[in-house]
Amino acid sequence: METWGVARRSAWAVTLLVVILTVAGAFVAFGVSPADAQDAAKEPAYRQFPVLGSRLAVWAIAQLHLNFAAFILGVPIFAVIIEIIGWRTRQAQYDWLSHELVKLTFAAFSTTALLGALLLFLLIGYYPKFWGYMTSIFFPTYWIYALLFFAETFTVYVWYYGWDWLSGSRKWIHVSLGVLSNLFGTAILFVANSWVTFMVSPGGISESGALKGSVWAAINNFTWMPINIHRLIANIVFGGTIAAAYAAFRFLAAKTDEERARYDWMGYVGNFVALSAFIVLPFAGYYLGREIYAFNQTMGITMMGGFMSWLWIIQAILIGVLFIGSNYYLWLGMERIPGSERYRKYVPYMLMVLAAGFIVWATPRSMVVTLDEARAMGGTHHPILGFLGVMSAKNTAVNLMILTTFLSYVLYRRANRISTKSWVKTGMAVQWAMFAIAAVIVTFYGIYGYFVESMVRIGFSVYQVGAVIVAIAVIMVVDVFMFRGARSTGTIRWGTIAPRSQYVLILLAVTFTWLMGLMGFARSGIRQHWHVYGVMRDTSAEAVTPALGYASNVITLVTIAFFGLVMFIFWLGGLGEKGKEGAPAHGHAPPVIAGGSDGTS
Amino acid sequence: MRLPVSVKVGIFSLVVMGSYTYYANSIPQIESKPPQELSLEGGNVTPAQLVKAGEEIYKTKGTCEICHRIGQKGTRAPDLAGVGGRAAKMKAGQSAKQYIIESLISPNALLVEGYPPIMPAVDKPPIALNRSELWALTAFLQSLGGTVDVALNDIPATAGAAAAGGGGAPAPVSVPGDPKAGKAVYTGKGGCLACHKAADIPGSPVGPDLTQIAKIQTPDYIMKKILDPKGMGTVAGFPPGVMPQTFGATLTAKEYTDLVAFLLTLK
Repeated sequence: METWGVARRSAWAVTLLVVILTVAGAFVAFGVSPADAQDAAKEPAYRQFPVLGSRLAVWAIAQLHLNFAAFILGVPIFAVIIEIIGWRTRQAQYDWLSHELVKLTFAAFSTTALLGALLLFLLIGYYPKFWGYMTSIFFPTYWIYALLFFAETFTVYVWYYGWDWLSGSRKWIHVSLGVLSNLFGTAILFVANSWVTFMVSPGGISESGALKGSVWAAINNFTWMPINIHRLIANIVFGGTIAAAYAAFRFLAAKTDEERARYDWMGYVGNFVALSAFIVLPFAGYYLGREIYAFNQTMGITMMGGFMSWLWIIQAILIGVLFIGSNYYLWLGMERIPGSERYRKYVPYMLMVLAAGFIVWATPRSMVVTLDEARAMGGTHHPILGFLGVMSAKNTAVNLMILTTFLSYVLYRRANRISTKSWVKTGMAVQWAMFAIAAVIVTFYGIYGYFVESMVRIGFSVYQVGAVIVAIAVIMVVDVFMFRGARSTGTIRWGTIAPRSQYVLILLAVTFTWLMGLMGFARSGIRQHWHVYGVMRDTSAEAVTPALGYASNVITLVTIAFFGLVMFIFWLGGLGEKGKEGAPAHGHAPPVIAGGSDGTS
Repeated sequence: MRLPVSVKVGIFSLVVMGSYTYYANSIPQIESKPPQELSLEGGNVTPAQLVKAGEEIYKTKGTCEICHRIGQKGTRAPDLAGVGGRAAKMKAGQSAKQYIIESLISPNALLVEGYPPIMPAVDKPPIALNRSELWALTAFLQSLGGTVDVALNDIPATAGAAAAGGGGAPAPVSVPGDPKAGKAVYTGKGGCLACHKAADIPGSPVGPDLTQIAKIQTPDYIMKKILDPKGMGTVAGFPPGVMPQTFGATLTAKEYTDLVAFLLTLK
């Protein structure tokens, strides 16, 4: 206990120190007088980071910082959702899980702050002219960022340390603190996003790059809100996958059935939250893509059809892995639910749809071929498969994959329940009809898209997405009412899931983290040789946007570093528990779950 | 021997990431390089050279190929096959070269029916072609079914003005010096090679390597640094106060501008 206590106090002290140093450093660096500004003009535009080069140093630290930031923003969002469920349903295991997750974010907090400070120092030191320009636009937001950071840090600490103090009748205050800390965290994300999105789609400035009016116009640029939404949802997915991976690790290392049951349940909850958010993530991606096109057609076309076109094939493979992995985990999970046998016959068909969708999405428009092969095919597009490489086919594929994943979840949800409602047949008919209507609309617009201009085709994705969202909403509402008070066919046998399912959870966490790195490269890479697109050119010797192979090497190394550090944090979590053996558990004793659930979770 | 869970999970994660990395390394590797600036002002260029330079701009810096095809109808932009001959008939009172130039710098004013207004002005960022590049690109487009008769003076003097700007940066500095003569100053009277290496000119490493100085520094900085090295500060990692403060007095105005012009070629 003492070991963990020391670790917590150290983390707290380091975080505070880093925040103070960062804020002080930022104000010293940016609180410039006119005389200082003249001196700054004498600075070189770039400095060279030893051995690695400045670009790689900034890239690696920025990506690592972003991973940790997503961790400390995503996991608390996940944790407060879990805490609210526990509070409202009076199920103690949710409260335990929420507490467990917030504990994990503690060490990550100080690491995130350290990496953020390091990133700031790298930008000031190696890209002084660029950072000076960004400061000339965004200086007022630095204050807001610093204040929000303080607010979030203090709120999270009160949230964590007040867990016992604010229990019972005061639980609502505790939950409110959790919500508040997440609001602060989200606001921090939005402020940082304004800087990053301004670099991609600058707004509110004159042709010479000077701020025209209020800083709000620069903040509220074309891609700011789409990135805010996309990152917020992605952070929830990330928090869920990391929590599930942690549970999987603990499940595989468990010595007793009780531990296995506890971490099996934790892994399921993590994956459930991740999957729920993941299903809507592609829609946020469409919105972002549309806004990029709205800002600058050339940028949009370069992103989708230029030197980055192959990036989307890699993305398709990763998302295919995430879809198939999530479904596979649900199907494995159904094996520990009595009564699920009746739904197993659907699994091969769902797998077929997912596999077909995966294949379509991963089909490139143009292929790498020899001259002879190109002559034989009549070009670099395959005469038949080439039709699967365009957006019409890919949008159709992903929407059908989302519908299939939702179907998997619906079947899992009702695996051990039989509805007792008199209108069950009608309800079921409505649900299947909604699935069918959505599938028909998605397929219709997918085919119709081949016969219209690209500008019209882009709009079709809205109808496809709309059909899927409406279907999900209607089916879920019907399901909730139809299975209220349902008869149980048996309790879930937590802890008896096949161990390979836990590797699926780890696969999902690793894949999603790698995908975040890839999408970070995409967002940054579409600026090409511009620090701020169309406004401030990158004139350094490293202005080349690297090829995907090089980018993937960097992403892998950063992801390994991230998971190395996360493993260390997990180890710290385990260390804390070892210290608690034989000591009072502060009301956060691990719950006993084995076979005890009624399957409503 | 049973492997610890952490080792098994670690190996599994590495295999997953290794697979993604292997795949990403096995697909076409395309880098996006920053476009090179082309300057033809004051030079003797034949129409054939101009067309060749224009074709290069069409395929690279101009990013025209993203939407336009030559000999193939596109959905985003018109086919450019024969545009050199067609352009003279597109708008009454406008020659082919005038029509092409206006299409490049004010594309929405001459929108071809049936196509969306998505073309950016090519002399503005992010494409930001300069006058020489506009000249060459116009010549290339004229060569597609027409006669190349465009001259540099046909390109409006204001075109491309925003090309090198940005980020609140100062307007580009035009240095009237002769780089060749400047190289002689660098290696001779200026004695710069005593402390600096520059591309193929060897030099002592007392001061920073200047091989890419024009890429990493502004012309303004370079000019000031020669005249007032102490006032402009010393590059980190190098001894301060070594560079002479006397170039402003020892170099003539011509030698000074020639030297700056030479340094601006080091990219």
